[in-house]
Amino acid sequence: MTRAFILFASLAVAVPAHAQFKLPDLNVNRLLDTAKNLGKAVHEPTESEEIAIGNDVAARLLGAAPLVADARVQQYVNRVGRWLALQSERPDLPWHFGVLEAPQVNAFAVPGGTIFITRGLLARMTSEAELAGALSHEIAHVVKKHHLKAIQKGALASLSADAAGSALNNVNPQARAKLISFGTELYSRGLDKGDEFEADRLGVVIAARGGYDAYGLPGVLQTLQAMNASDSALALMFKTHPSPAERLDALGRMQAVLDAYSGQPQLAERFVAETKPAR
Amino acid sequence: MKALLFLLCVPLVAWADPATVLRATELKAEPASDAATVAQLSESTRVDALERKGGWTRVKSGSAQGWVKMLALRYDGPGETKRGDTGIAQAFNVARTGASGTQVTTGVRGLDEDQLAKAQPNAAELAKLGRFAADRAAATDYAAQGKLSAVSVPYPKP
Repeated sequence: MTRAFILFASLAVAVPAHAQFKLPDLNVNRLLDTAKNLGKAVHEPTESEEIAIGNDVAARLLGAAPLVADARVQQYVNRVGRWLALQSERPDLPWHFGVLEAPQVNAFAVPGGTIFITRGLLARMTSEAELAGALSHEIAHVVKKHHLKAIQKGALASLSADAAGSALNNVNPQARAKLISFGTELYSRGLDKGDEFEADRLGVVIAARGGYDAYGLPGVLQTLQAMNASDSALALMFKTHPSPAERLDALGRMQAVLDAYSGQPQLAERFVAETKPAR
Repeated sequence: MKALLFLLCVPLVAWADPATVLRATELKAEPASDAATVAQLSESTRVDALERKGGWTRVKSGSAQGWVKMLALRYDGPGETKRGDTGIAQAFNVARTGASGTQVTTGVRGLDEDQLAKAQPNAAELAKLGRFAADRAAATDYAAQGKLSAVSVPYPKP
Protein backbone atom coordinates (compact mmCIF):
# COMPACT_ATOMS: atom_id res chain seq x y z
CA MET A 1 0.00 0.00 0.00
CA THR A 2 1.59 3.20 -1.04
CA ARG A 3 1.70 6.53 0.64
CA ALA A 4 -0.56 8.32 -1.79
CA PHE A 5 -3.24 5.81 -1.16
CA ILE A 6 -2.86 6.09 2.58
CA LEU A 7 -3.25 9.83 2.36
CA PHE A 8 -6.06 9.51 -0.09
CA ALA A 9 -7.97 7.11 2.10
CA SER A 10 -7.21 8.63 5.45
CA LEU A 11 -8.21 12.12 4.40
CA ALA A 12 -11.73 10.93 4.65
CA VAL A 13 -11.85 10.22 8.36
CA ALA A 14 -11.27 13.71 9.62
CA VAL A 15 -14.50 15.44 8.69
CA PRO A 16 -18.05 14.94 9.91
CA ALA A 17 -19.79 12.15 8.10
CA HIS A 18 -22.20 14.30 6.20
CA ALA A 19 -19.62 16.80 5.08
CA GLN A 20 -17.47 14.20 3.48
CA PHE A 21 -16.99 14.47 -0.24
CA LYS A 22 -20.08 16.58 -0.72
CA LEU A 23 -19.29 19.14 -3.33
CA PRO A 24 -21.94 21.62 -2.13
CA ASP A 25 -19.81 22.07 0.98
CA LEU A 26 -17.03 23.44 -1.15
CA ASN A 27 -15.48 26.48 0.31
CA VAL A 28 -13.06 28.48 -1.78
CA ASN A 29 -10.83 29.45 1.12
CA ARG A 30 -10.61 25.93 2.30
CA LEU A 31 -9.87 24.81 -1.22
CA LEU A 32 -7.03 27.27 -1.53
CA ASP A 33 -5.79 26.30 1.90
CA THR A 34 -5.94 22.67 0.94
CA ALA A 35 -4.10 23.24 -2.27
CA LYS A 36 -1.45 25.34 -0.56
CA ASN A 37 -0.85 22.86 2.21
CA LEU A 38 -1.22 19.64 0.35
CA GLY A 39 0.09 20.56 -3.03
CA LYS A 40 3.48 19.18 -2.26
CA ALA A 41 2.42 16.25 -0.17
CA VAL A 42 -0.05 14.65 -2.57
CA HIS A 43 1.17 13.10 -5.74
CA GLU A 44 -0.93 11.77 -8.57
CA PRO A 45 -2.25 8.29 -7.84
CA THR A 46 -0.02 5.70 -9.48
CA GLU A 47 -1.43 3.46 -12.15
CA SER A 48 -1.83 0.56 -9.74
CA GLU A 49 -3.66 2.82 -7.26
CA GLU A 50 -5.91 4.00 -10.07
CA ILE A 51 -6.66 0.40 -11.03
CA ALA A 52 -7.40 -0.55 -7.40
CA ILE A 53 -9.80 2.40 -6.99
CA GLY A 54 -11.39 1.49 -10.31
CA ASN A 55 -11.94 -2.12 -9.24
CA ASP A 56 -13.70 -1.01 -6.07
CA VAL A 57 -15.91 1.45 -7.96
CA ALA A 58 -16.66 -1.13 -10.66
CA ALA A 59 -17.74 -3.63 -7.97
CA ARG A 60 -20.22 -1.05 -6.66
CA LEU A 61 -21.63 -0.34 -10.12
CA LEU A 62 -22.02 -4.09 -10.61
CA GLY A 63 -23.89 -4.11 -7.30
CA ALA A 64 -26.42 -1.73 -8.84
CA ALA A 65 -26.71 -3.72 -12.06
CA PRO A 66 -25.07 -7.08 -12.81
CA LEU A 67 -23.64 -8.17 -16.15
CA VAL A 68 -26.01 -9.36 -18.85
CA ALA A 69 -25.83 -13.15 -18.50
CA ASP A 70 -24.57 -13.88 -21.98
CA ALA A 71 -20.90 -14.71 -22.52
CA ARG A 72 -21.03 -14.11 -26.26
CA VAL A 73 -22.15 -10.50 -26.03
CA GLN A 74 -19.68 -9.80 -23.20
CA GLN A 75 -16.80 -11.24 -25.23
CA TYR A 76 -17.94 -9.25 -28.23
CA VAL A 77 -17.82 -5.87 -26.49
CA ASN A 78 -14.44 -6.81 -25.00
CA ARG A 79 -12.96 -7.55 -28.43
CA VAL A 80 -14.34 -4.36 -29.92
CA GLY A 81 -13.43 -2.29 -26.88
CA ARG A 82 -9.91 -3.62 -26.50
CA TRP A 83 -9.19 -2.95 -30.17
CA LEU A 84 -10.27 0.66 -29.67
CA ALA A 85 -8.27 0.98 -26.44
CA LEU A 86 -5.21 -0.18 -28.39
CA GLN A 87 -5.62 2.96 -30.51
CA SER A 88 -5.47 5.16 -27.40
CA GLU A 89 -2.53 6.52 -25.40
CA ARG A 90 -3.10 3.91 -22.66
CA PRO A 91 -3.19 0.65 -24.64
CA ASP A 92 -1.83 -1.57 -21.89
CA LEU A 93 -4.21 -0.89 -19.03
CA PRO A 94 -6.18 -3.96 -17.88
CA TRP A 95 -9.15 -2.98 -20.04
CA HIS A 96 -12.48 -4.59 -19.23
CA PHE A 97 -15.77 -3.99 -20.98
CA GLY A 98 -19.15 -5.09 -19.68
CA VAL A 99 -22.79 -4.93 -20.72
CA LEU A 100 -24.91 -4.18 -17.66
CA GLU A 101 -28.37 -5.61 -17.13
CA ALA A 102 -30.18 -2.29 -16.88
CA PRO A 103 -32.96 -0.73 -18.94
CA GLN A 104 -31.50 2.73 -18.57
CA VAL A 105 -29.62 4.24 -21.51
CA ASN A 106 -26.11 4.97 -20.33
CA ALA A 107 -22.43 4.12 -20.36
CA PHE A 108 -19.76 4.54 -17.72
CA ALA A 109 -15.99 4.86 -17.64
CA VAL A 110 -14.25 3.73 -14.47
CA PRO A 111 -10.65 4.68 -13.62
CA GLY A 112 -8.08 2.08 -14.57
CA GLY A 113 -9.79 0.89 -17.75
CA THR A 114 -13.22 -0.55 -16.96
CA ILE A 115 -16.04 0.51 -19.28
CA PHE A 116 -19.71 -0.34 -18.88
CA ILE A 117 -22.54 0.05 -21.32
CA THR A 118 -26.15 -0.69 -20.42
CA ARG A 119 -28.38 -3.12 -22.24
CA GLY A 120 -30.73 -0.15 -22.72
CA LEU A 121 -28.13 1.70 -24.77
CA LEU A 122 -26.88 -1.36 -26.65
CA ALA A 123 -30.45 -2.17 -27.69
CA ARG A 124 -30.80 1.20 -29.39
CA MET A 125 -27.66 0.92 -31.46
CA THR A 126 -27.63 -0.31 -35.02
CA SER A 127 -23.99 -0.99 -35.87
CA GLU A 128 -20.56 -1.78 -34.49
CA ALA A 129 -19.46 1.71 -35.56
CA GLU A 130 -22.06 3.17 -33.16
CA LEU A 131 -20.89 0.84 -30.38
CA ALA A 132 -17.32 1.88 -31.17
CA GLY A 133 -18.32 5.54 -30.95
CA ALA A 134 -19.84 5.11 -27.49
CA LEU A 135 -16.99 2.92 -26.17
CA SER A 136 -14.42 5.36 -27.55
CA HIS A 137 -16.09 8.23 -25.70
CA GLU A 138 -15.70 6.23 -22.48
CA ILE A 139 -12.12 5.19 -23.32
CA ALA A 140 -11.32 8.90 -23.76
CA HIS A 141 -12.53 9.55 -20.19
CA VAL A 142 -10.06 6.93 -18.94
CA VAL A 143 -7.23 8.23 -21.12
CA LYS A 144 -7.79 11.74 -19.73
CA LYS A 145 -8.40 10.41 -16.18
CA HIS A 146 -11.53 12.54 -15.89
CA HIS A 147 -13.17 10.47 -13.15
CA LEU A 148 -9.95 9.84 -11.27
CA LYS A 149 -9.27 13.57 -11.12
CA ALA A 150 -12.83 14.29 -9.99
CA ILE A 151 -12.53 11.70 -7.20
CA GLN A 152 -9.21 13.19 -6.14
CA LYS A 153 -10.62 16.71 -6.19
CA GLY A 154 -13.66 15.69 -4.20
CA ALA A 155 -11.52 14.03 -1.54
CA LEU A 156 -9.16 16.92 -1.14
CA ALA A 157 -11.80 19.63 -1.20
CA SER A 158 -13.72 18.19 1.71
CA LEU A 159 -10.86 18.21 4.17
CA SER A 160 -8.99 20.79 6.17
CA ALA A 161 -5.26 20.98 5.72
CA ASP A 162 -4.76 20.10 9.39
CA ALA A 163 -6.88 17.03 9.13
CA ALA A 164 -5.09 15.93 6.02
CA GLY A 165 -1.72 16.47 7.61
CA SER A 166 -2.49 14.41 10.68
CA ALA A 167 -4.21 11.77 8.60
CA LEU A 168 -1.10 10.83 6.65
CA ASN A 169 -0.32 7.69 8.60
CA ASN A 170 -3.85 6.60 9.19
CA VAL A 171 -5.23 3.77 7.12
CA ASN A 172 -8.88 3.09 7.59
CA PRO A 173 -11.18 0.72 5.69
CA GLN A 174 -14.13 2.96 6.53
CA ALA A 175 -12.37 5.86 4.87
CA ARG A 176 -11.77 3.71 1.83
CA ALA A 177 -15.44 2.82 1.71
CA LYS A 178 -16.36 6.50 1.81
CA LEU A 179 -13.93 7.26 -0.98
CA ILE A 180 -15.48 4.55 -3.11
CA SER A 181 -18.98 5.76 -2.27
CA PHE A 182 -17.96 9.17 -3.48
CA GLY A 183 -16.49 7.62 -6.61
CA THR A 184 -19.74 5.75 -7.25
CA GLU A 185 -21.96 8.78 -6.63
CA LEU A 186 -19.91 10.62 -9.21
CA TYR A 187 -21.92 8.70 -11.80
CA SER A 188 -25.06 10.34 -10.43
CA ARG A 189 -23.58 13.82 -10.36
CA GLY A 190 -21.66 13.76 -13.60
CA LEU A 191 -18.38 15.29 -14.68
CA ASP A 192 -17.75 18.84 -15.82
CA LYS A 193 -19.49 19.41 -19.13
CA GLY A 194 -16.10 20.24 -20.63
CA ASP A 195 -14.89 16.73 -19.87
CA GLU A 196 -17.88 15.31 -21.77
CA PHE A 197 -17.24 17.48 -24.81
CA GLU A 198 -13.58 16.49 -24.73
CA ALA A 199 -14.50 12.80 -24.54
CA ASP A 200 -16.77 13.29 -27.58
CA ARG A 201 -13.98 14.90 -29.61
CA LEU A 202 -11.40 12.29 -28.64
CA GLY A 203 -13.92 9.47 -28.94
CA VAL A 204 -14.65 10.29 -32.58
CA VAL A 205 -10.91 10.17 -33.26
CA ILE A 206 -10.31 6.90 -31.38
CA ALA A 207 -13.14 5.19 -33.32
CA ALA A 208 -11.74 6.54 -36.60
CA ARG A 209 -8.28 5.28 -35.64
CA GLY A 210 -9.81 1.86 -35.11
CA GLY A 211 -10.98 1.89 -38.71
CA TYR A 212 -14.69 2.56 -38.05
CA ASP A 213 -17.04 4.99 -39.75
CA ALA A 214 -16.43 8.11 -37.66
CA TYR A 215 -20.13 8.96 -37.61
CA GLY A 216 -20.88 6.24 -35.05
CA LEU A 217 -20.93 8.55 -32.03
CA PRO A 218 -22.97 11.29 -33.75
CA GLY A 219 -25.35 8.52 -34.82
CA VAL A 220 -25.86 7.43 -31.20
CA LEU A 221 -26.41 11.04 -30.15
CA GLN A 222 -29.05 11.51 -32.83
CA THR A 223 -30.79 8.36 -31.62
CA LEU A 224 -30.89 9.84 -28.11
CA GLN A 225 -32.15 13.12 -29.53
CA ALA A 226 -34.99 11.31 -31.27
CA MET A 227 -36.10 9.61 -28.05
CA ASN A 228 -38.68 11.01 -25.69
CA ALA A 229 -36.62 13.36 -23.54
CA SER A 230 -38.82 12.66 -20.52
CA ASP A 231 -38.32 8.89 -20.81
CA SER A 232 -37.11 7.82 -17.38
CA ALA A 233 -34.57 5.50 -19.05
CA LEU A 234 -32.74 8.67 -20.10
CA ALA A 235 -33.04 10.62 -16.84
CA LEU A 236 -29.59 9.92 -15.42
CA MET A 237 -27.82 10.22 -18.76
CA PHE A 238 -29.46 13.56 -19.48
CA LYS A 239 -28.79 14.83 -15.97
CA THR A 240 -25.09 14.03 -16.19
CA HIS A 241 -24.35 15.01 -19.80
CA PRO A 242 -24.87 18.04 -22.00
CA SER A 243 -27.93 17.64 -24.24
CA PRO A 244 -27.53 15.62 -27.45
CA ALA A 245 -28.20 18.84 -29.39
CA GLU A 246 -25.29 20.64 -27.70
CA ARG A 247 -23.00 17.66 -28.20
CA LEU A 248 -23.94 17.33 -31.86
CA ASP A 249 -23.41 21.07 -32.37
CA ALA A 250 -19.94 20.73 -30.85
CA LEU A 251 -19.13 17.72 -33.04
CA GLY A 252 -20.25 19.76 -36.04
CA ARG A 253 -16.95 21.58 -35.70
CA MET A 254 -15.23 18.28 -36.50
CA GLN A 255 -17.03 17.83 -39.79
CA ALA A 256 -13.75 17.55 -41.72
CA VAL A 257 -12.49 14.67 -39.57
CA LEU A 258 -15.90 13.00 -39.59
CA ASP A 259 -16.15 13.16 -43.36
CA ALA A 260 -12.57 12.01 -43.92
CA TYR A 261 -13.36 8.74 -42.10
CA SER A 262 -17.04 8.30 -42.93
CA GLY A 263 -16.32 5.69 -45.58
CA GLN A 264 -14.84 3.20 -43.11
CA PRO A 265 -16.80 0.07 -42.12
CA GLN A 266 -19.91 0.21 -39.93
CA LEU A 267 -20.23 -3.55 -39.45
CA ALA A 268 -23.97 -3.43 -38.86
CA GLU A 269 -24.48 -7.12 -39.61
CA ARG A 270 -21.77 -8.33 -37.25
CA PHE A 271 -23.16 -6.07 -34.54
CA VAL A 272 -26.69 -7.40 -34.91
CA ALA A 273 -25.53 -11.03 -34.97
CA GLU A 274 -23.31 -10.72 -31.91
CA THR A 275 -25.61 -8.65 -29.72
CA LYS A 276 -28.90 -10.40 -30.43
CA PRO A 277 -29.24 -11.96 -26.95
CA ALA A 278 -28.82 -8.56 -25.33
CA ARG A 279 -31.24 -6.63 -27.49
CA MET B 1 -45.78 -9.85 -21.14
CA LYS B 2 -44.99 -10.75 -24.70
CA ALA B 3 -46.32 -7.47 -25.95
CA LEU B 4 -44.17 -5.67 -23.43
CA LEU B 5 -41.06 -7.54 -24.45
CA PHE B 6 -41.84 -6.82 -28.03
CA LEU B 7 -42.14 -3.12 -27.33
CA LEU B 8 -38.83 -3.14 -25.52
CA CYS B 9 -37.08 -4.84 -28.40
CA VAL B 10 -38.14 -2.43 -31.10
CA PRO B 11 -35.28 -0.05 -31.70
CA LEU B 12 -36.49 3.47 -31.12
CA VAL B 13 -34.46 4.58 -34.08
CA ALA B 14 -37.19 2.85 -36.00
CA TRP B 15 -37.81 5.13 -38.80
CA ALA B 16 -39.36 7.50 -39.74
CA ASP B 17 -38.28 10.05 -37.19
CA PRO B 18 -39.52 13.59 -37.56
CA ALA B 19 -36.65 16.03 -37.87
CA THR B 20 -35.94 19.62 -38.83
CA VAL B 21 -33.34 20.87 -41.25
CA LEU B 22 -30.99 23.10 -39.24
CA ARG B 23 -29.75 25.14 -42.19
CA ALA B 24 -30.49 25.47 -45.90
CA THR B 25 -29.21 22.28 -47.48
CA GLU B 26 -29.29 20.31 -50.71
CA LEU B 27 -31.31 17.14 -50.99
CA LYS B 28 -29.06 14.71 -52.86
CA ALA B 29 -29.99 11.72 -54.99
CA GLU B 30 -27.19 9.65 -53.40
CA PRO B 31 -25.28 9.90 -50.10
CA ALA B 32 -22.42 11.88 -51.64
CA SER B 33 -21.56 15.56 -52.04
CA ASP B 34 -21.10 15.19 -55.80
CA ALA B 35 -24.43 13.44 -56.34
CA ALA B 36 -27.24 15.16 -58.24
CA THR B 37 -29.30 17.66 -56.27
CA VAL B 38 -32.94 16.60 -56.05
CA ALA B 39 -34.22 19.68 -54.27
CA GLN B 40 -33.16 22.63 -52.15
CA LEU B 41 -34.37 22.43 -48.56
CA SER B 42 -34.62 25.73 -46.76
CA GLU B 43 -33.81 26.19 -43.09
CA SER B 44 -36.41 24.71 -40.72
CA THR B 45 -37.92 22.42 -43.36
CA ARG B 46 -39.65 19.51 -41.64
CA VAL B 47 -38.63 16.09 -42.90
CA ASP B 48 -38.96 12.44 -41.95
CA ALA B 49 -35.64 10.68 -41.44
CA LEU B 50 -35.65 7.18 -42.90
CA GLU B 51 -32.15 5.75 -42.81
CA ARG B 52 -28.56 6.65 -41.89
CA LYS B 53 -25.47 5.83 -43.91
CA GLY B 54 -22.07 7.18 -42.94
CA GLY B 55 -22.46 10.92 -42.64
CA TRP B 56 -25.73 10.98 -44.56
CA THR B 57 -29.38 10.51 -43.72
CA ARG B 58 -32.10 9.61 -46.19
CA VAL B 59 -35.13 11.82 -45.68
CA LYS B 60 -38.56 12.36 -47.10
CA SER B 61 -39.73 15.90 -47.59
CA GLY B 62 -43.21 16.15 -49.03
CA SER B 63 -43.08 14.07 -52.17
CA ALA B 64 -39.30 14.33 -52.51
CA GLN B 65 -36.84 11.79 -51.13
CA GLY B 66 -33.09 12.00 -50.96
CA TRP B 67 -30.02 12.34 -48.76
CA VAL B 68 -28.90 15.22 -46.56
CA LYS B 69 -25.81 15.60 -44.38
CA MET B 70 -26.51 13.86 -41.12
CA LEU B 71 -25.48 16.79 -38.95
CA ALA B 72 -27.82 19.12 -40.85
CA LEU B 73 -30.73 17.45 -39.04
CA ARG B 74 -32.12 17.98 -35.60
CA TYR B 75 -34.56 15.41 -34.24
CA ASP B 76 -37.74 16.63 -32.63
CA GLY B 77 -38.22 13.80 -30.23
CA PRO B 78 -40.98 11.27 -30.53
CA GLY B 79 -44.05 11.54 -32.65
CA GLU B 80 -47.46 10.23 -31.63
CA THR B 81 -46.61 6.63 -32.43
CA LYS B 82 -43.72 6.18 -30.05
CA ARG B 83 -44.68 8.08 -27.02
CA GLY B 84 -43.95 6.12 -23.91
CA ASP B 85 -41.55 5.48 -21.18
CA THR B 86 -39.21 2.56 -21.69
CA GLY B 87 -37.81 2.81 -18.16
CA ILE B 88 -41.29 2.57 -16.63
CA ALA B 89 -42.14 -0.26 -18.99
CA GLN B 90 -39.15 -2.13 -17.67
CA ALA B 91 -40.01 -1.34 -14.07
CA PHE B 92 -43.44 -2.87 -14.58
CA ASN B 93 -41.93 -5.97 -16.08
CA VAL B 94 -43.54 -8.77 -14.15
CA ALA B 95 -43.12 -12.47 -13.69
CA ARG B 96 -45.57 -15.09 -12.53
CA THR B 97 -44.54 -17.18 -9.61
CA GLY B 98 -45.02 -20.90 -10.04
CA ALA B 99 -48.09 -22.32 -8.31
CA SER B 100 -49.90 -19.25 -7.12
CA GLY B 101 -49.72 -17.44 -10.41
CA THR B 102 -49.50 -14.22 -8.48
CA GLN B 103 -47.88 -11.40 -10.33
CA VAL B 104 -44.84 -9.99 -8.64
CA THR B 105 -42.31 -7.56 -9.86
CA THR B 106 -39.01 -9.21 -10.64
CA GLY B 107 -37.12 -6.64 -8.61
CA VAL B 108 -35.57 -5.08 -11.64
CA ARG B 109 -32.52 -3.20 -10.60
CA GLY B 110 -30.88 -0.61 -12.60
CA LEU B 111 -28.71 2.36 -12.84
CA ASP B 112 -30.68 5.28 -11.55
CA GLU B 113 -29.54 7.65 -8.82
CA ASP B 114 -31.25 5.73 -6.08
CA GLN B 115 -29.72 2.40 -7.07
CA LEU B 116 -26.27 3.91 -7.36
CA ALA B 117 -26.53 5.42 -3.89
CA LYS B 118 -27.59 2.09 -2.38
CA ALA B 119 -25.27 -0.18 -4.35
CA GLN B 120 -23.18 -2.66 -2.41
CA PRO B 121 -20.04 -4.14 -3.98
CA ASN B 122 -20.64 -7.29 -6.02
CA ALA B 123 -17.34 -9.18 -6.00
CA ALA B 124 -18.72 -12.17 -7.91
CA GLU B 125 -19.76 -10.01 -10.85
CA LEU B 126 -16.41 -8.22 -10.80
CA ALA B 127 -14.65 -11.58 -11.04
CA LYS B 128 -16.93 -12.55 -13.91
CA LEU B 129 -16.11 -9.29 -15.69
CA GLY B 130 -12.43 -10.22 -15.53
CA ARG B 131 -13.04 -13.51 -17.31
CA PHE B 132 -14.41 -11.87 -20.46
CA ALA B 133 -11.39 -9.66 -21.14
CA ALA B 134 -9.82 -9.78 -24.60
CA ASP B 135 -6.06 -9.59 -24.95
CA ARG B 136 -4.25 -7.62 -27.61
CA ALA B 137 -4.00 -10.57 -29.99
CA ALA B 138 -7.67 -11.53 -29.72
CA ALA B 139 -8.78 -7.94 -30.25
CA THR B 140 -6.48 -7.48 -33.23
CA ASP B 141 -7.62 -10.73 -34.86
CA TYR B 142 -11.24 -9.79 -34.42
CA ALA B 143 -10.67 -6.37 -35.96
CA ALA B 144 -8.97 -8.02 -38.93
CA GLN B 145 -11.95 -10.36 -39.37
CA GLY B 146 -14.10 -7.25 -39.70
CA LYS B 147 -11.65 -5.78 -42.20
CA LEU B 148 -10.86 -2.91 -39.86
CA SER B 149 -7.49 -1.26 -40.39
CA ALA B 150 -5.94 1.05 -37.83
CA VAL B 151 -5.24 4.52 -39.17
CA SER B 152 -3.33 7.41 -37.66
CA VAL B 153 -5.61 10.32 -36.76
CA PRO B 154 -4.48 13.21 -34.55
CA TYR B 155 -6.77 14.59 -31.82
CA PRO B 156 -8.41 17.89 -32.72
CA LYS B 157 -7.55 21.06 -30.85
CA PRO B 158 -10.20 22.05 -28.26
